[in-house]
Amino acid sequence: MGIKFERVSYQYQGIDQRGYLAIGDINLSINAAGEFITLIGETGSGKSTLVQHMNALLLPTEGRMKLFGLTIDKNTKKNKKIKLNPIRKKVGLVFQFPEYQLFEETVLKDIIFGPKNFGVSEEEAIKRAKKMIEVVGLDESYLSRSPFNLSGGEKKRVSIAGILAMEPDVLILDEPTSGLDPMGRNALLEVFYDIHKTLNKTVIIITHDMNTVYEYAQRALVMREGVLVYDGDPLQLFSKKNIDNWNLETPDILALSKAMETKFDITFSTPPRSRKALFTEIKEVLK
Amino acid sequence: MKNIVIGRYVPGKGFLYDLDPRTKLIALLVLMAATFIIDELIHMAAAILLIGVILVIGRISVKRVYLGLRPLLFLLIFTFAFQILFNTQGDLLFETPLYYSPITLGLVVVIVLIWGFTKRFIKFKLLYFLATVFLSLFVLNTFTEPLVFATGTFSIYEDALEMALFIMLRLIIIVTLSTILTITTKPTDLNLGLESVLKPLKVIRVNTEEIAMIISIALRYIPTLLDEANKIMLAQASRGVDFQEGKLKEKVMQIVSLLVPMFIISFKRSDELANAMEARSFIPGHPRTRLHLLTWKTLDTVVLVVSLTLLISSISIRVFL
Ligand SMILES: Nc1ncnc2c1ncn2[C@@H]1O[C@H](COP(=O)(O)OP(=O)(O)OP(=O)(O)O)[C@@H](O)[C@H]1O
Ligand SMILES: [Mg+2]
Repeated sequence: MGIKFERVSYQYQGIDQRGYLAIGDINLSINAAGEFITLIGETGSGKSTLVQHMNALLLPTEGRMKLFGLTIDKNTKKNKKIKLNPIRKKVGLVFQFPEYQLFEETVLKDIIFGPKNFGVSEEEAIKRAKKMIEVVGLDESYLSRSPFNLSGGEKKRVSIAGILAMEPDVLILDEPTSGLDPMGRNALLEVFYDIHKTLNKTVIIITHDMNTVYEYAQRALVMREGVLVYDGDPLQLFSKKNIDNWNLETPDILALSKAMETKFDITFSTPPRSRKALFTEIKEVLK
Repeated sequence: MKNIVIGRYVPGKGFLYDLDPRTKLIALLVLMAATFIIDELIHMAAAILLIGVILVIGRISVKRVYLGLRPLLFLLIFTFAFQILFNTQGDLLFETPLYYSPITLGLVVVIVLIWGFTKRFIKFKLLYFLATVFLSLFVLNTFTEPLVFATGTFSIYEDALEMALFIMLRLIIIVTLSTILTITTKPTDLNLGLESVLKPLKVIRVNTEEIAMIISIALRYIPTLLDEANKIMLAQASRGVDFQEGKLKEKVMQIVSLLVPMFIISFKRSDELANAMEARSFIPGHPRTRLHLLTWKTLDTVVLVVSLTLLISSISIRVFL
C-alpha cells in the first residue's frame, strides 16, 4: 500500500502540441504511514509536478503508479469507472500558491469545504476548523473573516488548515513555509512534525530550506531537471561531493559543527542535527 | 478547456507571419464585410475555398482552426435549429405530419433517456445527437394509432434552410479569419496594428491608444486566465470536488467554486498589471516611442489590393446582378 511510482513521466502539453517533459522516469515508493520526507531541488526541477501525481491530480503520461492499491496510468482518465476521489481523501495536498485554493466567503466555510466534500458532517467539520485554525497559529477570530483580505502568510496558514481539517493519511505540503516569518515557520514545522510523530502519519514537505531538511527529515528526495537524483538519508546527502551541482547548500548546523570539529580538533559522538543537539554535544565535549 | 485557441499566438513561419499587422487587420475587416454582402451559395462556397487556400499557403493546420471553432458548435446547432423551426418564409420544401400520442411521446422520452445515458461512450457526440433528433422525429412521424390526441406538422422552408446555412457559414468564416489573425500575430504587433488602424478615429477625439491597449491586454489574458482556471480546478479537485460527477446542484456549486477565485484572481491581476505598467512609467495618453516599428512591404500592398478587390466585386455582384 502507500504510494508507488514505476517509471513515471509527465509531459505538459504546450499550445503547440509540443510537450514539455516536467518529470521523467521516476521510480519511488512511499509508505502510507510513519515517514517524514523532504523533497528538494532547484526551481523548475519538477517538485510540484511530482507531488501532484501523488493524489492523482496529474496522471502520468508514461509509466504507472499505484496509489493505495489503485493502479493509475495514462489510460485511467478515460475510464470513468475509476474513482480518484478516495485517493484525494487519503492524500492531502497543500498547494504552493494559496490563492488557488481559497474561494469561500469566510475562512470557516473554506476550511470545512474539503471535509464536507468527503462526507464529514457539518458540526464535525466546524469542530475541526476551530481546532485547525489554532494549530496553524491563527485564532478563532479569523474564522469569520474573508479569506481574500488576509496577508500572504495568513492565506498560507488558512490553506494549510483547510487540508489538515480533511485529516488525510498522507500530508503533502508544497513549500508550506515560504513567505512566513522565522518564528511562524518554525512553529509550523513543529506542527507537521508533531502530526507525523503523534499520529504516525506520512508527511512530505517541499522546501528550499536545507536546515529544515537536515533537522527534521528521515528521508530526502532531490529532484534535478525532472529526474529524481537522490533518495535517502539527508545525513549522507550533505556529505556527498556533488551537492553543489544540484544547487543545494550545506545546512548551517552541519557547517558549524564541521568547522568546530576541525578548528578545535574535537569529534562529536553523533552529528548534531539541530541547535539543541549541538548544545548537548558541546556540553558533552566540554565535560 | 486547454484546447481553446481563440486569442493565442502560435509561433511559426509563413507568409501570414510576415504580413504587417495593419494589413491583416484591415484585410480581416474587409473580408468579413464581404462575407456579409455576398448572398449566393456559390459565392459562399468560393469564400470557403478561398479560406482553405489561405490556410494551405499560410501553412496553418486545419486542426487548430477546428479547435477554435469547436466552442461555437453549440451556437451553430442552436441557430440552425432555430431557423428550421421558426422561419416559415419562402417555398415549402418538405412537410410531414407528426402524431402525438402517449405511445409516441413515451417512445421519444425513452430515446432521449437512452441518448442521455449512452452519449458519454460515443465519440462523435454531435452526430449522435443529430441521429437522436432524427430518430425522435421519425417516431413521431410514423406511428399512427387510435390514441393520437393531437397532430402537428414538421416543415422545412427554403428560406429557413438557406438562412441557417448562411449564418453557419458566415460564423465559420469569421471565426476562422480571426483565429488566423491571432495565431499569426504577436500580441504586441496586434496592439501596434490596432492602434494605427484606429488612428483616424482620433479626429473625433476617441482615445485610440487606450482602446488598442485594452483590446490587446484582453486578448493577451485569455490564455492566462484559462491556465489559472485549470490550476484552480486542480486545487478544488484535491479538496474533493469531482468535476466529472455530481448532480445539477453540485455542478452549480462546483462552478461557483471555480468562478469566485477566477474573478478575484483576475481583479488582482489587473491591479498588479496596472501597477507594473505605472512602475515602468506608462502614462495613459502620453506619446511613446517604439522598439519595433512596423514596416510596409510589397506583399502587404498585394494582400490589401486583393482583399479590397474581393470586397468591391462582392458589392458589385450584389448591386448589379
Ligand atoms: N502548466 C504548465 N504548463 C507547462 N509547463 C509547466 C506547467 N507547470 C509547470 N511547468 C514546467 O514544468 C517544470 C517543472 O515545474 P514545477 O512547478 O514542477 O517545478 P518546481 O520544482 O515545483 O519549481 P518551484 O521550486 O519554482 O516551485 C518547469 O520547468 C515548468 O516551467
Ligand atoms: Mg513548485
